[in-house]
Amino acid sequence: MGTARRPAVPRPDAKDETREMTSRILVVDDDTALAEMIGIVLRTEGFETVFCADGAKAVEIWRAERPDLILLDLMLPGMDGIEICNRVRAESGVPIIMLTARTDTADVVKGLESGADDYIVKPFNPKELVARIRTRLRPASQPVNETLRIGDLAVDVAAHEVCRDDTPIALTPLEFELLVALASKPQQVFSREMLLEQVWGYHYKADTRLVNVHVQRLRAKVEQDPDNPKIVTTVRGVGYRAGAVV
Amino acid sequence: MPPARAVPASRPALSAWRDWRSWPDSLTNLWRRSLRFRTILVTLALTALAILVACIWMALAIQNDLFQARKDQVLADSLRATQAAQETLDAAAVQGDTVQIRNLMTSVRTTLVERSSTDMIAAFRIDRTPSQLAPQNFTTPGLTEDVISDGMHEAVQSEADQQWWQSVELPLADGPVPGIIVGQQLMVPDVGGYELYLAYDLGSASQTLGFVQTTLWIVGIALVLLIGAISWFVLRSVTIPIGEAADTSAKLASGELGVRLPVRGEDELATLGRSFNAMADSIESQIKELADLSLVQQRFVSDVSHELRTPLTTIRLAADMINDQRADFDPATARAAELLNAQVQRFETLLTDLLEISRYDAGSVQLELEPTSLAHLAEDVIGSMHQLAEQHGTDIRLVAPGGYSPVEMDPRRVRRVVRNLLGNAIEHGEGRPIVITVDSNHQAVALGVRDYGLGMTPEDVERVFDRFWRADPSRTRTIGGTGLGLSIALGDARLHGGELAVWSDLGRGSNFVLTLPRQGGHLTGPSPVPVEPGDESVAADDLGLTQPIPVLTMDAQSDAGARGGPS
Repeated sequence: MGTARRPAVPRPDAKDETREMTSRILVVDDDTALAEMIGIVLRTEGFETVFCADGAKAVEIWRAERPDLILLDLMLPGMDGIEICNRVRAESGVPIIMLTARTDTADVVKGLESGADDYIVKPFNPKELVARIRTRLRPASQPVNETLRIGDLAVDVAAHEVCRDDTPIALTPLEFELLVALASKPQQVFSREMLLEQVWGYHYKADTRLVNVHVQRLRAKVEQDPDNPKIVTTVRGVGYRAGAVV
Repeated sequence: MPPARAVPASRPALSAWRDWRSWPDSLTNLWRRSLRFRTILVTLALTALAILVACIWMALAIQNDLFQARKDQVLADSLRATQAAQETLDAAAVQGDTVQIRNLMTSVRTTLVERSSTDMIAAFRIDRTPSQLAPQNFTTPGLTEDVISDGMHEAVQSEADQQWWQSVELPLADGPVPGIIVGQQLMVPDVGGYELYLAYDLGSASQTLGFVQTTLWIVGIALVLLIGAISWFVLRSVTIPIGEAADTSAKLASGELGVRLPVRGEDELATLGRSFNAMADSIESQIKELADLSLVQQRFVSDVSHELRTPLTTIRLAADMINDQRADFDPATARAAELLNAQVQRFETLLTDLLEISRYDAGSVQLELEPTSLAHLAEDVIGSMHQLAEQHGTDIRLVAPGGYSPVEMDPRRVRRVVRNLLGNAIEHGEGRPIVITVDSNHQAVALGVRDYGLGMTPEDVERVFDRFWRADPSRTRTIGGTGLGLSIALGDARLHGGELAVWSDLGRGSNFVLTLPRQGGHLTGPSPVPVEPGDESVAADDLGLTQPIPVLTMDAQSDAGARGGPS
């Protein structure tokens, strides 16, 4: 399903690419053993790691270190993960992956609604963790230079910019990708599973709440009336499709 | 009274009351079901009878008394008048003069009219032989000769000084009225005896009697109604609390533990209320205690599962890393790394299942419903388990005559159930084909997983959904279930309002059928996929299976220890 310019899953050869760039990852977890182990795994895969065990300091450290991705435990002393997520999202669209021990609806949805791009349920295996991180760190450079139209929006894929009447709308990379995925095939209805594969890189059945929550967040930003969406429309029982170009 | 009480709320009720043919039934019903109706009916009947008897007795007594009094008065009156007349006659000296006798008779008549309270007077000469001297018989209107019976005539003629009376009907101008005739002899000098009759009108006494009787009946009926109304209200004060108590007990029984009876005063009903409330208190506190205990336990399981997850993640990451590098280790260490990795995974699955079970126990599971095609879901699961099936040399066949249209369900949970059932079937199917049937009817969709493996004994079938139960602990497990899979599957099915049924027979294999209702309904009819497989050979043909499915021989059964089942 992945398009040529954006591999849905990092291929083995993509490893060299990321290594060259040495992405920095902030691991926010109060369990030092787990944080250290995650650090070992990530460094083996060629990432650079920064740690934070105290929720209250997490935002501060993020500002100082400016990592490429945050691995965020939901339950933290000082400040909980959801609050940290909210604060980081207020300033940046940096990819955030939540680590959670609880898969109960309320917790996960709250985390996603506060702006996390993805979540991993403890316990996870190293391959899964690395795959999730790689998907979120896919190179932002676009081989094609084009402007897509969706509804009354202009999507400049190369510049990573979405405009309505020349006014740019700030989107996180994930939301941007979601929008591009829909806009690049305006005729197609995307099921949640297709979007999970194309945007989140899941090849197996994953949690469709990811899609639901992020479509809501995207709509809140790009729709003029989020209750009556014109850009990302719902096809009942199937999924989503791009709204007609105005 | 019931028709008056039933204020018809709607037309059907009204017409039900108008339909007189249904009255006996509804009355019987009311008699059977309403204590108040029954008591009031009995009270009314008995009161009415008592009052009827009293009224009749009183009416008769009054009638008798009135008549007696009037009769005595009439007799006295007539005696007085007759004596006065006789005195007048005795005092007169007529000396055979006709004129004088006539005058005398006239004055006697006047005396009679003056001295008696009636003007209906008649006189007849006893001696019927014609006489010049004797004055004429006379009668007055209302007292004609035919009113006086022959018996009366005879009686009066028989004795000279005796008063006789008789009740008669007097033909007055404005209709006949009851009356009394009093007869006596009157001796007229020189002429002889005359029968003298005085008639008295009893009309006024009869009127009084009628009035008294009417009053009696009105009072009687009013009393019956009054007693009815009183018992109605008195019974209300008893039956309403009883009804309340019944309603409250019903509510308590249905799980509303907070309900209590209002206690008023000190009487028996208050005692009933107090005892009931004490019972409810005790039940509530015990249930609450149990619920708390169970909640603590559930929370503990949930907390433990969650707390274990963080260290388990670290172990998992470490084990995975070590396992990846096992090529560099000596064989024993490499094997240890492999075992560590496998067991950590098993531990993780167990923990996940345990947590899921604790969620069911806590009732904190929420369904994420979306329209899903069960047939397509089954295809997906079969695809994902294809590899495992091949490892066991098992052929999986999907037969889906229906179940394609989307039905609201939680696809993650249903997929987990199907995966679990299929996993069990592969493990216990002895390498024989597995048939997955999907079908639907207007109220449910169902999926059956049929294996032709060892099957289970009836005792095993009963325990198959029990936690951590395994059909045969000594059997080697290749898929490595946790022993919680079927419990979770049953929980998932019930959460959907559906059910998970099982059929199994030693030597013929097992059939698990998951049935889910459409659109949040309830399962009422039979499942679209029958649990009992029926006649195998016919069914196999119907399903369009091309390959014959071998059924275990008796030898094979005994070899395998005749046991097996899902884990």
